[in-house]
Amino acid sequence: MSEKNYAFPEALVSTEWVAGHLADPHLRIVESNEDILLYDTGHIQGSVHIDWRSDLQDQTIRDYINPQQFAALCERNGISNDTTVIFYGDKSNWWACYALWVFRLFGHTKVKIMDGGREKWVAEQRHLTRAVPHFVHGHYTPPETRSDSEIRAFYDQALAQSRAGMALIDVRSPAEFRGEVTHMPEYPQEGVLRGGHIPGAASVPWKMAVKDDSTFKDISELRQIYEDEAGLKPGQDVVAYCRIGERSSHTWFVLTYLLGYKKVRNYDGSWTEWGNRVGAPIERS
Amino acid sequence: MYPEKLNQIIDLFESLPDAEKRELLISYASAAMKQGPRDGDAFDLEDERKDEECTDTVGVFLQVSPQRACAFRIKLGPQVQTLTKAMTAILCKGLEGLSPEQIMEVPADFVPKIVGADLVRQRSQTVYYILTRMKGIARVWLNRERASAQLSL
Repeated sequence: MSEKNYAFPEALVSTEWVAGHLADPHLRIVESNEDILLYDTGHIQGSVHIDWRSDLQDQTIRDYINPQQFAALCERNGISNDTTVIFYGDKSNWWACYALWVFRLFGHTKVKIMDGGREKWVAEQRHLTRAVPHFVHGHYTPPETRSDSEIRAFYDQALAQSRAGMALIDVRSPAEFRGEVTHMPEYPQEGVLRGGHIPGAASVPWKMAVKDDSTFKDISELRQIYEDEAGLKPGQDVVAYCRIGERSSHTWFVLTYLLGYKKVRNYDGSWTEWGNRVGAPIERS
Repeated sequence: MYPEKLNQIIDLFESLPDAEKRELLISYASAAMKQGPRDGDAFDLEDERKDEECTDTVGVFLQVSPQRACAFRIKLGPQVQTLTKAMTAILCKGLEGLSPEQIMEVPADFVPKIVGADLVRQRSQTVYYILTRMKGIARVWLNRERASAQLSL
């Protein structure tokens, strides 16, 4: 990926690279999808499935698992503290980026995305298998805490960002941003009572960052989109949001790893929290 | 409560442990692509469209026999989710031979019994979509039948 001049080209691997490293014992390939059964229909040989909802989220309250649960998740998927984890999935890697972001919350920094995700792998007619992988359990020492403060924003922080006139990126569809609809195209309503966007947010739909084959655009195109058009500046403190935090994980990945922004936070409460919050300021345009 | 064929499918799913339930869903999803219209098929009604709430185009094709038995064919776009594909094959088989009136009365509460509560999520609500579309085309057929009956009076 070095030819694309990304800030951290090592954060991306190609489908070809993955195909050549299927037997690498230092890697674990993780598929993470929106389509709950897609992994079961066929997956990259040796890959494991980590589900955004049942594996990464607390099953009662709206939050993520704790460090001990994260360590247990890693161990049963053959991931140790020093394992490099390659994420891929459907929807141009929405959930792969989300899973990667959650791994970062727990301080796991040896993470990469397979550029183009499952769509590209399938389009290239690469091999998929239904075989369940067998591997030795990992040994994972859990971190003391989940690092929410570095890459995650909560409501109060997003509100402060808005009031201070600091950078907020709304990655939802333009109609959601304008408040014309409260669900994204092709999706059911997810229980949001008000439409619009956080005051001061710039609209940059996540899809702007990818090409038709689901791979990321090169650095000059990304700079044009996020800096020339949306007005971000390198070094800025940025908060990205969508509706539940998965599309904004994708943008978080772009800003952090491809453009090299140092402080980017994903507001995972996103519009399902903001649009339901009593008294939350809303802008429509 | 449920039509007999559908009830048999529900009973089978409910008897299975989760892992086998998933396997059976995958098997039904694989069969979904065979539920589309075939060369030479003739239909009373065809309804092919892309709705906001589904990820791809879905075509529903209905043929009603002189004995008022419904036969459905359903064509799915490639982006339709696996659960929705599975539900398509299940419904085509489970509702085959029912009258349009009986189609209209099928309750949707069987879905979690088949799919399992864990798999029915906000983002997988399209599993209900296919039944809605089948009921929709059955309603149109009934309305047309009523209209033609009134015209012939």
